[in-house]
Amino acid sequence: MAKFQWLYHKTEHGPLSQLWASFRQQHSAVIGLMLFGFFALIALFGPVLTPYDPYLQNPDALLLPPSWDDMGDVRYLLGTDDLGRDQLSRLIKGASYTFGIALITALGAMFLGLLLGVLAGMSKGFRASAFNHVLDLALTIPSLLLAIIIVAILGPGLINTIWAIMLALLPHFVHGVRNTILQQLEQEYVIAYRLDGANNWQILRYVIFPNTWEQLTVLFSMALSTAILDIAALGFLGLGAQAPAAEWGLMVADALDLIYLSPWSIALPGLLIFIAVLSVNLVSDGLRTAVRKRQES
Amino acid sequence: MIWHYLIRRLFLLSFVFFALTCFAFSLGHLFPGDPLVNFSGISQPDDELLPVLVQQYRLDDGYLQQYIAFLQRILQGDWGLSLASQQPVLFELTQVFPATLELVAYALLISFVLGVPLGLLAAIKASHWSGRVISTIALLGYSLPIFWWALLMIMLFSIGLGWFPTSGRISVLYEIPSVTGFMLPDILLSGQTYWQAAFQDAIRHLWLPAFVLATYPTTVMIRFTRDAMLNVWQQSYIKTARAKGLSRSQVLYRHGLRNAMLPVMRQLGLQFSTLVTLAMISELIFSWPGIGLWLLDSISQRNYPAIQGGLLVISSLVILVNILMDVLHTLFNPLARKQANG
Repeated sequence: MAKFQWLYHKTEHGPLSQLWASFRQQHSAVIGLMLFGFFALIALFGPVLTPYDPYLQNPDALLLPPSWDDMGDVRYLLGTDDLGRDQLSRLIKGASYTFGIALITALGAMFLGLLLGVLAGMSKGFRASAFNHVLDLALTIPSLLLAIIIVAILGPGLINTIWAIMLALLPHFVHGVRNTILQQLEQEYVIAYRLDGANNWQILRYVIFPNTWEQLTVLFSMALSTAILDIAALGFLGLGAQAPAAEWGLMVADALDLIYLSPWSIALPGLLIFIAVLSVNLVSDGLRTAVRKRQES
Repeated sequence: MIWHYLIRRLFLLSFVFFALTCFAFSLGHLFPGDPLVNFSGISQPDDELLPVLVQQYRLDDGYLQQYIAFLQRILQGDWGLSLASQQPVLFELTQVFPATLELVAYALLISFVLGVPLGLLAAIKASHWSGRVISTIALLGYSLPIFWWALLMIMLFSIGLGWFPTSGRISVLYEIPSVTGFMLPDILLSGQTYWQAAFQDAIRHLWLPAFVLATYPTTVMIRFTRDAMLNVWQQSYIKTARAKGLSRSQVLYRHGLRNAMLPVMRQLGLQFSTLVTLAMISELIFSWPGIGLWLLDSISQRNYPAIQGGLLVISSLVILVNILMDVLHTLFNPLARKQANG
């Protein structure tokens, strides 16, 4: 029967629904996508969902453990920090900081990277070679080091770290887009289209772009997990978001002095960073497998 | 010819170093404050010194002359003074850099010893439960924020169980003169009567940071070894080797592993800059006196000459490792060699 399988193979579906069909078969990827959607919703609607103001201090309820603990208080579901601020509200607020800003940063890097990658991919000769060398240099400077230098020039703060991380993510996008375009340019259908009289822009618009978006989503998901980790790490190091912002990495750093008193105030924000990155990585892995399967079929 | 390729790599290397020094030079002007102070690290030069320094750094001339003077100073080893301690930056770098190299080297060693066999196992038993468990662990480890992971390990092993100390390279009880800058060889060379106790103590200090830092490269190694092996296992030369009657382990070692390690090696070069980033964070948490801790201190002290020097050293290390891996990959892989020449 295997011989006749192509007869039963549904080919009337577009590439997007084919991709979704093979993505859906991977349970881990679907779970990752659900988690991802959950975080995105919380990041978007966080301010409406918080039970308390995340910056409201209650001097009567300092360092409460989570409510399931004997010492806990049911009004503060996940306890409070050393200033009596509600942990749950801060963690929800933190989703907009760590997850939401990482999303925006990765999107910004993707658009810039697409632009530069197209320029790099379509140029030839000396320009292309010079571009490659600059790119090689940019890829070698560790992102944290780059962020440190940018912060040293501009001063610490969330906005400056966004620029720093965007700049640090950029080379990966440029590299990925450029390689995809170079790969596409070798294809015979591109040559055929060029023989039909298409100029560079038309080739890019009608042939190359429709064939690169899959690669682009994979690159984006990989960049997003780096962005979340970098924002949290910079917040932890005191170079990113500044107190009293409820950024997850910063919350871990704030709780460092309390490591004996309230280990949960270190464990919880870190756990959220971990789950957020894990969900992105699950989606990323699923996407890559789905893209590979679709291209093979 | 292979020489042609090597010369091209050498050219690339020199270009990248040129661009890097340009970047480092421009930082002297980009950082807040007086460029003279940023370059020299002398916070208040007196009236006698000022004209000498301006003359030496050629700050009255154009940027090109300044850059040439900067390059000369870098080559001569005059990297300015640290604003915080008034010690030469280059001297401080030689003190902290080996500690980082040591930590990174042990983490890489752990990742090789654990990652490659586990990745192989995950590839061979891809649908078996053991393969799935390894892949899942690799994915989990890949997603861990290192600072949180390090703190969890400290909470468990240092505070909870009390097995390992939380910070430093060695207990202050032992005085080990710095010869190579690497702790374990230094202890062996020290010739002190307590060297055995000191050695054990250093190992106990090393365990936790090296393990935490090794988490990321190990998972990367597992993932790439697994993917590369799965890819290689489908090639026709594997089928040929099996058909010739070689045993499974022979095929695995002679034809599978050798080919699968090539892309892994290449990835290792690309992942090296992430590894250095992670090393900087774990140095901060474990108070490991390496270049990362030094650099993070420098930024809070606005110590611009130190940041400049740190950038040059770390980036040069990453570039060298990158290009070395690329060259090794090409030397070992006939296909890439052909591509590089053609």
